[in-house]
Amino acid sequence: MSFDALAQRALDTAAKRGGQYADIRFEVDRTERIEARNGVVATLSDTTSRGYGIRALVDGAWGFAAGSDLSDAGIDRTAARAVEIAKAGAAIARSRLGEPPRRAYNDTFVTPIKRDPHDVPLGERVLLLLDAEKALHVSPQIRVGRAWMDLWTIDKVFYSSIGSKIEQSVRQTGSGMEALAVGEGDVQSRTFPGDIGLYKTGGWEIIEQAHLLDNAQRIGEEAVALLTAPQSPSGTLDIILGGSQVSLQIHESCGHPAELDRVMGWEANFSGVSFLEIDQLGKLKYGSDLVTIVIDNTLPEGLATLGYDDEGTKSTVSDIIRNGLLVGYEMSNDTARTIGRESNACVRAQSWEFVPMIRMCNLNLLPGNTPFENLFDDVKDGIYMESNRSWSIDDHRLNFQFGCEIGWEIKNGKRGRILKNPTYAGITPKFWNSCDAIADERSWVAWGTPNCGKGEPMQTGHTAQCAAPARFRGVQVGVGYGG
Amino acid sequence: MDSAHREEVAQRVLALSGADETEVMVWNERSELTRFTHNSVHQNVAESDVSIKVRAIIGKRTGVATTNLMDESGLRALVDRAVEMANLAPEDPELPPLPAGGPTQTPEGAYVKDTGNASPHLRAQMCDAIFKTAEEHDYWCAGFASTSEAGVTIVNSNGARASFDGTDAAVNVKMNASDSSGYAEGFNNDVNRVDARAIGRTAAQKARDSAHPRTVEPGEWTVILEPAAFGELFTYVSSHFSAQSFDEGSSFLSDGLDKKYLGDNVTITDDYAHPLAPGMPFDFEGQPTQRLALIEDGIAKNIVTDSYWAHKLGRSNTGHALPAPNAYGPQAMHLVVAPGSKPTNELIAETQRGLLITRFWYIRTVDQKKAIVTGMTRDGTFLIENGALAGGVRNMRFNHSIIEALRSCEFANALHRTGSYAYSVVVPAAKIQGFKFSSGTDF
Repeated sequence: MSFDALAQRALDTAAKRGGQYADIRFEVDRTERIEARNGVVATLSDTTSRGYGIRALVDGAWGFAAGSDLSDAGIDRTAARAVEIAKAGAAIARSRLGEPPRRAYNDTFVTPIKRDPHDVPLGERVLLLLDAEKALHVSPQIRVGRAWMDLWTIDKVFYSSIGSKIEQSVRQTGSGMEALAVGEGDVQSRTFPGDIGLYKTGGWEIIEQAHLLDNAQRIGEEAVALLTAPQSPSGTLDIILGGSQVSLQIHESCGHPAELDRVMGWEANFSGVSFLEIDQLGKLKYGSDLVTIVIDNTLPEGLATLGYDDEGTKSTVSDIIRNGLLVGYEMSNDTARTIGRESNACVRAQSWEFVPMIRMCNLNLLPGNTPFENLFDDVKDGIYMESNRSWSIDDHRLNFQFGCEIGWEIKNGKRGRILKNPTYAGITPKFWNSCDAIADERSWVAWGTPNCGKGEPMQTGHTAQCAAPARFRGVQVGVGYGG
Repeated sequence: MDSAHREEVAQRVLALSGADETEVMVWNERSELTRFTHNSVHQNVAESDVSIKVRAIIGKRTGVATTNLMDESGLRALVDRAVEMANLAPEDPELPPLPAGGPTQTPEGAYVKDTGNASPHLRAQMCDAIFKTAEEHDYWCAGFASTSEAGVTIVNSNGARASFDGTDAAVNVKMNASDSSGYAEGFNNDVNRVDARAIGRTAAQKARDSAHPRTVEPGEWTVILEPAAFGELFTYVSSHFSAQSFDEGSSFLSDGLDKKYLGDNVTITDDYAHPLAPGMPFDFEGQPTQRLALIEDGIAKNIVTDSYWAHKLGRSNTGHALPAPNAYGPQAMHLVVAPGSKPTNELIAETQRGLLITRFWYIRTVDQKKAIVTGMTRDGTFLIENGALAGGVRNMRFNHSIIEALRSCEFANALHRTGSYAYSVVVPAAKIQGFKFSSGTDF
């Protein structure tokens, strides 16, 4: 359906009520989830949600109101509420925080897909998951097998009072599986791919990339093997992290601290502040010279790839860390102007119900030039860790502790026996400065994170951190298990 | 949308279904939140929606569809989709019939009209009171004031009929000084009982008292966790009370009920009707929720079930279902830890050397079976020396088993609520011996 008339009505109502700028974002979101669990389909669901969110700006204060009532009265009521809320904030403001976008666009964006997942019969999709889940059960010790698939279709149209109209149709797709093994006083889990699954923009081809059936038996066997594996050691060792764990490391220790709203204290009461303070821009040696991390919201198949963000800013590519140096942030219109820059289109809302805010989008560690197998070559005593199991970082994003599902001992350049409960800990810049090798582009994967929490009310963001396995020297390991 | 309207819609949708069994859930929500930083509002939001979910069961096959397209064609398409999915789903041989429900009694104070009608201007006044406290101290504050109302109606073809309306109000404040910070919070169904000024003052006092923090060495400490800290820690064992984790072996109770797992002084209940957090008296299948003793004097007495897990394990249905489809099993959503006999001040006075902790951050499970978790202290951590507070300390990371903590703890005599009524914990302050810290910070 066309939203043109309703959009104009909303923008007119906001202006009449005193809004100095307004925008409205209509969305129709469809979410399908299938989950096979211990031989049955535990989840088979299809959710449709349609609504709109209106932002209004009054004297530097934003108001946001969202509703699903598409009648004229509903639109009027919601637009008026957005302005009323903005005025209430303006009345007690000690400073002006809000700035409207400067540039208008009239454009469309559609996610390229090779095969529409909805063209794959539901029975075929269910069977794939049931077969993969069944293959996880290599032993009675596998007490829980799970295999899942998510399909998201997001159709949205953005209109603003400065003349933007941006239509976007986005497809996000993902799948994964988990084996939970239970032994004498112990529980061990293995997931694949990565610890969440493989999530990207695209169609059925993303499900095929996950290769669930090809890996299910191995994942089940690894879960069982972990029950009797030796405890991963404590001390200071060299470590190699698998690609999905590097992705999480980027997410927690670079992606979140480089959100400029967090740097400015906008998340201080909840998800915290950041050690990447503005006076460190261009000065802080965040990582070794090998470490270059860029935002690329145009990346093919990146889970956060879009044409425009939810403030109507065109997607772009920009640096956060260049050869180890802090050079940029993830920014909105408001925050970018406080440091004399322009937004790099990092503003997203979970859905129509939520206010747009800075999110990390696609944040990519550029690949190195070391073949993955050669990362092990000059490690005398170390651990290779895969798939996140536990993650925690302080509210300045400095002191972190992560645990993985599985480790492999490394002795004299050779990968050896399996180790259980591997953990590692560190201080963010010291850790990234200890990175002395990153695997090459052959093992570089656009790992999507479909469950990133931020904001109040809490929003779930779909981010990506493209990464290859990487090596770090002299890292504290074994914390939580005696280290 | 009131309960009568929700029920009318739900019955209309139920009549559209030709499935063997059908469950319909209708819910509406209006939630508003004013968020601030640096003594100004930076996010100020309102959201309202009405949605409807259909669970269709054909034989032993289930399909679930949800929409907020509430016109006649939208509702028809919703039912058709749920039935279509059920027809295509594989059979689950252990699927029980939908529960028949039963009488329920909404606890007093669950819905408060003033909260449901709260305006952005009321929340602005609450925030302004906090800003003024910050300015008196030359601090800056960050936090929010929120109000919401929500209603849910569940009906099914086996006779279950249940409706509930509730409200929530909350204030959360972090007060920031030059080298310290302080935190305070308040939750209540009644916005009139959330004293924003007092909460702001508590946060400011914590920031002042923790100024110029010193470094203390990690290692084992006696800690006194204030309710916000203990409540957050405690939520990480809530899934252990689920029949699903109990049966599948990932719960610390999986060795069986009627065994002693925790200290003699530990009694834990699940109580939707607790006066501090009056909530929904039925679950998301419309089954009345039992007020349940989970741990009595350290001994495991019950686990929570829904229709599926009650049938599977041959136990009674305690009414703790999550909304369908649910791969996570039943959950205890209203945990209450019984208080002790001494005020928090007495617990402090009895401590020779220890730490008083206001709040934790980013707790995550390190080891599921042992319930080892890690996390950080935050926003007001104090040294206790010779029975008295002796200034702030820099934040530290802990790694500790919650089960171990609950074997060597002592509780204060006052209960506090953390979280919304929909997922609350009601806890006292807790004194824990030998709490393990693994590293520190420079702040």
